[in-house]
Amino acid sequence: MSDLKTITETLLTGDGEKVAELTQAALDAGVSAKDILDQALIAGMDIVGARMESGEMFIPEVLMSAQAMGGAVEILKPLLSEEDSAGVGKVVLGTVKGDLHDIGKNLVSMMLESAGFEVINMGVDVDPDAFIKAIKDNDADILALSALLTTTMPMMAQTIKSVEESGLRDKIKILVGGAPVNQSYADEIGADGYAPDAGSASKLAKSLMA
Amino acid sequence: MYDRMQELGTEQITRIHDASMDILKNTGVIFNEDEALEIFKKNGFRVDGKIVFFEEKDVEQALKTVPKRFRVYARNPENNVDIGEDDFVFVPGYGAPYVITPQGDQREATMEDYDNFCKLVHTSKHINMNGWMMVEPSDMPHETVHLDLNLSNILLCDKAFMGSPVSRKAAVEGLEMAAIAWGGKENIMDKAVSVSLINSLSPLQFSDEMAGSLIELARHGQACVIASLIMAGASGPVTMDGVATLQNAEILAGITLSQLVRQGAPVIYGSTSSAMDMRTGALSIGAPELSMNVSFTAQMARFYNLPSRSGGGLTDSLFPDAQAGIESALALSTAARNGINFILHSCGILGSYIAMSYEKFLLDEETCGLIRHMFRPTAVSDDSIDVEMIKTVGIGGQYLTHPKTFKLCRTELYSTDLMSRMNYDAWTKAGKKRIDQVAEDKVSQRLATYERPDIDPGIEKALTAYVAAKKKG
Repeated sequence: MSDLKTITETLLTGDGEKVAELTQAALDAGVSAKDILDQALIAGMDIVGARMESGEMFIPEVLMSAQAMGGAVEILKPLLSEEDSAGVGKVVLGTVKGDLHDIGKNLVSMMLESAGFEVINMGVDVDPDAFIKAIKDNDADILALSALLTTTMPMMAQTIKSVEESGLRDKIKILVGGAPVNQSYADEIGADGYAPDAGSASKLAKSLMA
Repeated sequence: MYDRMQELGTEQITRIHDASMDILKNTGVIFNEDEALEIFKKNGFRVDGKIVFFEEKDVEQALKTVPKRFRVYARNPENNVDIGEDDFVFVPGYGAPYVITPQGDQREATMEDYDNFCKLVHTSKHINMNGWMMVEPSDMPHETVHLDLNLSNILLCDKAFMGSPVSRKAAVEGLEMAAIAWGGKENIMDKAVSVSLINSLSPLQFSDEMAGSLIELARHGQACVIASLIMAGASGPVTMDGVATLQNAEILAGITLSQLVRQGAPVIYGSTSSAMDMRTGALSIGAPELSMNVSFTAQMARFYNLPSRSGGGLTDSLFPDAQAGIESALALSTAARNGINFILHSCGILGSYIAMSYEKFLLDEETCGLIRHMFRPTAVSDDSIDVEMIKTVGIGGQYLTHPKTFKLCRTELYSTDLMSRMNYDAWTKAGKKRIDQVAEDKVSQRLATYERPDIDPGIEKALTAYVAAKKKG
């Protein structure tokens, strides 16, 4: 158990090399990949999320921890059963058509991944049809839409409408975010949730999967 | 550097200087203090009754011996401060009889308030020195309260502090307490461990208390601010250049006395002169004339190679509201940018010096932090610019996950403890609090987690015994 605790603590410092080393050492010592993932890494990222929300951890530090987690997961992946490696759920994520803003959405992507989600990151300027195809191809649980401009916000509503028309709406939860977006806009366009920042986005995604 | 604030040219500075010399030579300054008059007479000054007349050469002789910078030693050596040239300190509010509550009510200040402000100074990241009489406790006997204030200053905070100049006796007792803290008078005679505020009585007078304190403090090598507070249009001319001239005469008269008492005694050229409000007759320290005078004060002090004092988080508002924020930030920023070295009243003051506010203390403290950060030199080096990194990240990339961002994210950019940078939803979720309400919560947290700094138990015992003995008479 103390090995797992050390991994968690190292994860919080953002030292990816050390986390990978410790992960390998724990495997060598006979700890199961599933236990390392759940009890050391995901548990660590929960702490990271909470510290990000409280302002104790800064975004670049959060991202370092998330990257460290990603590196460790790569080591664990071949050893996890299909069910375990499927993680918490699948998210198709992207910035809506007409909007080229990338960074905030990538931040959310990293936080989701480190919370155990599989993320299909579609990039920026994503056409509604491309989202729909990705949902179908990946059998996704969540669609996460980003927009930074007031001029591209209506494209969120249009994307949701396209999802409805495709008949997929009942199968998928839709999250929206971005600087000009707020809860009432999310309600207005029929999204299932809105998060003001990356930390709360991953928390919200998890609650939708529960 | 280009700055739109008026820079006085040599000709203008000389004109102010010459006019002050004319006043000092022909009108003179009253010193209501016998020893001061004796000292002037002994040094060949013309004295008529209580009026002392100054020759330019005497003033210039005095100016030659004033140190252009000096160090004030703190109980904790890490908190020693340098005053003069490029070094400056933020010092808290001074002399307020009242406290304004978070509800906007005014109440008399108590000793507990004084102690609380000592605790806030001790735990402050941005306030560099402890003050004196940050509030005037109404629940302590007037005759001995200076002893209690000195004791709290020494015991509750390990930063350098201000001295007690309210009377010659109080100044001497303050010196004796400092001597106990430093293990004997001989240990402080040649190093400043306090800075005391000596005010003129405008126009052109010094009271017996102020002159007597100045003599004792200079004699013992302790630093003094010689300050003038003229109300333009009331206790001084209505024009700001007239004010600059009159205050210059008063300050130079005080500085001359300090150097006659002891050559090399550290003194600071000070003023917070401002305008009288022509509708109400009240002093206005939120007025733009205050900041104009802050700039003139800094420039005149530099002309004489002296450290300067002015400015502060000064406002006429009675609540830590937008007016308080505007006026305080203007005056603080003007003082710091113009090169003032001793910025008294940096935090807490409301209502033209009438009250202190805990919440405003935190607001101003944050402003001090912002200002100090603005002055941090930017390296402009190959390593700091790191053009290779910019090329590597390239077009359309991001720097959030770059190791350099990770390494410097806590130290390179200013992190605010107080200002809201939330979006609307987060702000709503947090209760839509105004900054004074946020500050109110933080004041409670700060006071609740305060820990008293260590002190040699023998020194503490000697200090408390001294205060008890003096109170008994």
